[in-house]
Amino acid sequence: MEGIFAIWQRDLMKFIRDRARLLGSFAMPILFLIIFGGGFSGTMENLVMNQTSEIENFNYLTFIFPGIVAMTLLMTSIFSSLSVIQDKEFGYMKEILVSPVSRVNIAIGKMLGASTVAFMQGVLMFILIPVLGVTYEWSNVLAVLPIMFLLSCTLASLGLLIASLLRSTQGFQLIVQVLVFPMVFLSGALFPVTNMPAWMDILVKVNPVTYGVDAMKKVMTGAGDLPFAAQNALGLNLQLFGRTVTVAEELLFLIIFTSILIALATVSFRRANA
Amino acid sequence: MESIIQVHELRKSFKDMEAVKGIHFDVAQGEIFGFLGPNGAGKSTTINMICTMLAPTSGSVTINGYDAFKQKAKVRESIGIIFQENTLDEKLSALENLKLHCRFYRVPKHKRTERIQEVLEIVDLTDNQKKKVEEFSGGMKRRLEIARGLLHYPKVLFLDEPTVGLDPQTRAHIWEYILRLKEKENITIFLTTHYLDEAEISHRIAIMDKGSIIALDTPKRLKQQVGGDVIELGTEDNNAVATQLQHDMPEAEIQEEAGVLRIKVPSSDQFISTFLQQIRIPITSLNIRRPTLNDVFLSYTGRNIKAGPA
Repeated sequence: MEGIFAIWQRDLMKFIRDRARLLGSFAMPILFLIIFGGGFSGTMENLVMNQTSEIENFNYLTFIFPGIVAMTLLMTSIFSSLSVIQDKEFGYMKEILVSPVSRVNIAIGKMLGASTVAFMQGVLMFILIPVLGVTYEWSNVLAVLPIMFLLSCTLASLGLLIASLLRSTQGFQLIVQVLVFPMVFLSGALFPVTNMPAWMDILVKVNPVTYGVDAMKKVMTGAGDLPFAAQNALGLNLQLFGRTVTVAEELLFLIIFTSILIALATVSFRRANA
Repeated sequence: MESIIQVHELRKSFKDMEAVKGIHFDVAQGEIFGFLGPNGAGKSTTINMICTMLAPTSGSVTINGYDAFKQKAKVRESIGIIFQENTLDEKLSALENLKLHCRFYRVPKHKRTERIQEVLEIVDLTDNQKKKVEEFSGGMKRRLEIARGLLHYPKVLFLDEPTVGLDPQTRAHIWEYILRLKEKENITIFLTTHYLDEAEISHRIAIMDKGSIIALDTPKRLKQQVGGDVIELGTEDNNAVATQLQHDMPEAEIQEEAGVLRIKVPSSDQFISTFLQQIRIPITSLNIRRPTLNDVFLSYTGRNIKAGPA
């Protein structure tokens, strides 16, 4: 256990000392907020209001914001897993691997390090709430925090698995480029993914971000309490095998995703240096 | 003496090559064990297997009574490894690096501060402990790595080229630290090095080539096996001395070259003590050259047998 904690704390300490990284990771989400929040909101608001009369004073930004936060979590957690490759390049991974810390604990420690960094980054996004002029219930904001952390864990595990298979940061950058953007666009973070072609729908359903984003939106906006028609209009009626998934089920999926990915990353660590 | 490392019939094959061909050796508790060999001899593969970092094809390794392939965590606790390359976190301070190590190795909490200060003192880094490692010189980093390797009181310390890339003065210092430590803790040291004068410090040396251990003995005996010592002697009457020597010590090979007698004997220690008692003719010059480990190495690995003592 102490091994997990030590590995986690080291990554956290390094993140807090690195101010450039802290600020740099804000650029992309803010850009997306301007484009999707500012540029799209008029269109989206008209679309939603035309579909249902049950929502009044619909503010699209309220619904896009949790998606942008999820995107921040995705990017930060995957990029933080990069530290595994950096540790390999700078030799520190050897110090960890020859120590008695078990491979599972190394994987969990690294995963928790990256997900905590992502979580903190996501929470920092909340300072934009008053600037954007959107409002959320305090209780909803608090309730979304554990979901954010869980989603970060899932995505950090994914990043960790990729990082454990690679030797250079260049390969990682390439894979991340190919992976991150489809994962953002096919998650419902930025626009509803309810009416996709069948093949794309499959990609949406296997994408763990989809479940995280859906849960975050429902909980944070309180939309889970809205009538079905309203949820439908907002693209919140995520269906799997013909039935709407609940927030609890979504969280369960994330836990399953995380466990599988951590197990695979552990195997990969073991093989890299038996 | 009790064996702390036991290597038995250790083998490792990669796809089409047998890197380690069933080697066998023991290292005694408290011994300094030198492990030499040219590049590609299978040295690193062997060390990686001993350190639990690589699974063998067959054979066994026991360290401190634990099986290196079945009780990895126990073995890892028993050993300290100083790698050839830097494995410090340069963004953290020396102290932070040491603290992390304590936690990886579960050093008891109440002993941590004391032990950290103790190892820092051994390597003379007490005054620099708060500095970031990236501000350290090459020698300081090496010393810090050695300090870190000692923190969990390993039974065996593996030193892989501990002084490579350092200047001679720093090299000498590093050795001073290692020996200071050896005296204090009676640690077993497993050493690989390219500097053969450094290997001289070992109690025993194993020479590995092409996947096998081709020689294993004390440095002294290894050198004796290569051949005797050479004594270069100048006297006021070389002919008389040569005649007398030929008579007294028939085993000595004598040649005269440019006014100097070149005498090859099995052991110069023995020769000198008898010779100095017997000689009546004044000596003008005396030079004894012993075979170096380099001669041993070259002769065993067959790279340059003629480089052995003349």
